[in-house]
Amino acid sequence: MYKYSEKDRQFLVERVDQFEKQLNRYLSGDLDEDKFRSLRLRNGLYMELHAHMLRVAIPYGILSSNQLRALADVADKYDRGFGHFTTRQNIQFNWIQLPEIANLLRDLTDVGLHAIQTSGKATRNITADPLSGLTEGEIEDARPYCELIRRWFNLHPEFSWLPGKFKIAINGAKLDETALRIHDLGLRLIKNKKKELGFKVYVGGGLGAAAMIAAETASFIPSEDILSYLESVMRIYNLRGRRDHQKKLRIKFLVRELGASEFSRLVNEDWHQTKDDQELKLNLKELQSLKEDFALPIQSINLNGFQDDIDFNYSIWKKNNVRNHKVSGYSIVNISLTKLGAAPGDTTSEQMRILANLADQFSSGEIRTTKRQTIVFPFVRKDKVFNLWESLEKYDLASPHQGTMAQIVACPGRDYCSLAKAVSIPIATRVQERFNDMKKLLDIGDLKINISGCENSCAHHHIADIGLLGMQKNGEEYYQITLAGETLHETNIGKKLGPSISGEGIVDSIETIVNVYIDNRKINENFTDVFKRIGIEAFKEKVYG
Amino acid sequence: MDEIKNPSYLINKDYESINLVTFDEWIEDSEKLSKLGVGIILKPQDDIYSIQEQLELIELIALDFSNFDDGRGYTQAYLLSKRWKYVGEIIAINAHLDQLQFMIRSGITSYQLLESYKGSIDEDYSHGFSLCYQAAANNNGLHLQY
Ligand code: SF4
Repeated sequence: MYKYSEKDRQFLVERVDQFEKQLNRYLSGDLDEDKFRSLRLRNGLYMELHAHMLRVAIPYGILSSNQLRALADVADKYDRGFGHFTTRQNIQFNWIQLPEIANLLRDLTDVGLHAIQTSGKATRNITADPLSGLTEGEIEDARPYCELIRRWFNLHPEFSWLPGKFKIAINGAKLDETALRIHDLGLRLIKNKKKELGFKVYVGGGLGAAAMIAAETASFIPSEDILSYLESVMRIYNLRGRRDHQKKLRIKFLVRELGASEFSRLVNEDWHQTKDDQELKLNLKELQSLKEDFALPIQSINLNGFQDDIDFNYSIWKKNNVRNHKVSGYSIVNISLTKLGAAPGDTTSEQMRILANLADQFSSGEIRTTKRQTIVFPFVRKDKVFNLWESLEKYDLASPHQGTMAQIVACPGRDYCSLAKAVSIPIATRVQERFNDMKKLLDIGDLKINISGCENSCAHHHIADIGLLGMQKNGEEYYQITLAGETLHETNIGKKLGPSISGEGIVDSIETIVNVYIDNRKINENFTDVFKRIGIEAFKEKVYG
Repeated sequence: MDEIKNPSYLINKDYESINLVTFDEWIEDSEKLSKLGVGIILKPQDDIYSIQEQLELIELIALDFSNFDDGRGYTQAYLLSKRWKYVGEIIAINAHLDQLQFMIRSGITSYQLLESYKGSIDEDYSHGFSLCYQAAANNNGLHLQY
């Protein structure tokens, strides 16, 4: 498993030391509010009226069991025994006291964790497929590239004060679990006709009020040239991005205003001046060593003759939560922490320690986190899945509902978030109560519902089968429904169904939508297949008819 | 404003006697001004590409970093220093202590702080790290790790 070197950890300590000085200057009134805001965000710190939130990066969604234990310790020592796994490969602590920040961050440096650039107008941590390296047909494991690119833009002197935040996703798999075209910049690993590895580049995607799908700016950038190309994208953005309008800071607005072809022409013009600079070439030696660090810790095993246990609950759980591994003899196991009525992603320190111990026992000490706020054990022997399930049952972590429609992604919403226009979690709970029949859930199959409490779209409702966006109408809570958003095969923003629907009626509408799907479904068709075939009108008629 | 500082290993030149003009003034009458031997103050929004061909005529360039969150000055410094190999002084004016490491590595050769903080040491912010993760205009003597 990849670990930070001594030098990397030293760098993290130096970063904490510097931030501590800035914090002390702020606390003694020697650093003004605005500057400190800009500096603290780059260290993952949000300040609210009564408590402060710290966002810690989980690079590529991967944690070792020791890192997870360190996070549990942080939750106990500095928070109220909780952490919140986000949809974007981070964990957030919500009750942090300012004077303790530096010690908290220092504790994390011991296990190579940090909060650098988890917020602020700079390059954020890079999203990779949480199943990187595990699935069949991958073009290449994206993580070594992610890591080289992350390093390059870590405190980059030229690009640390961009007009807006800058989120990058890199995918090397056949299906796009990263949703790369809704990122400011998405890279798809591809091979050209000569079988050389490179990237297709998409720029200017994003959700929020003006949801946009990123445009292709380059069809093939050789992998060793990617750093200089990315620098050119950021240089154009840094110089020309809107800084005058708070709502137009992201690169998607620049790409839209200039047009994708003019934007990519400007990038190319700049890039032609730097692409041959040897200093900007990807370090192939380092790449090789990262490939070794990220290599799988398992080898195929022969389990001929192995018969799995027969148990009704186990088989249901297994159907929904266990996937095939590309290494024979192994499985990928999905674990959901979602409890009815609780904020999805919330995890207690006790659960973290349990998971860390189980990961040591069953998964080579490695854990992955996903954008559906679940946990993945990537290396479980097929003949140990039943034992793992028994342990999960014991700790109440193996509800068979996981992996069905009942597993909803909901942002904190009005219960916890001051920006919210409407509640999210209570809607999720009501949907779960309505659909509590296991047989029905199994029949419906994998259908994704995401609920955001406002236009900031933290729950990524635009890319769900059924997306809900909370809003206010005459002082009451309403929800805009979007249907058939997707990213796996192609990227589509969900289509608006029609006028928004009151909180009271929303669960009925969801049930109606699900029924339209079931009634029209042909064998092996998923929600988007049906939607594309029968069109939005068929849904509209039933919901508003 | 604070005095102008030159990190010791950077080029040094007697520039205090040079008159500074704004970018607009320069564009207006660069022919006359270039004979006088002036320096230019560039604001973030000034189009740096429009002086690319005239760099030899400009004695020094002062980049105005007064807006803490406006990062265009870093790209201006990079273009001048690394890409166009400007040989005159590139001064960061109205600079902020907390951003010194970024400015120096982007290619500025000296700086003038907007305000200084009692008890703070510039080096903590200009040289706070033992390594860097990218090649830049000026690697500032750091160990490169990338
Ligand atoms: S989507 Fe809105 S309500 Fe939900 S967490 Fe984000 S900002 Fe808060």
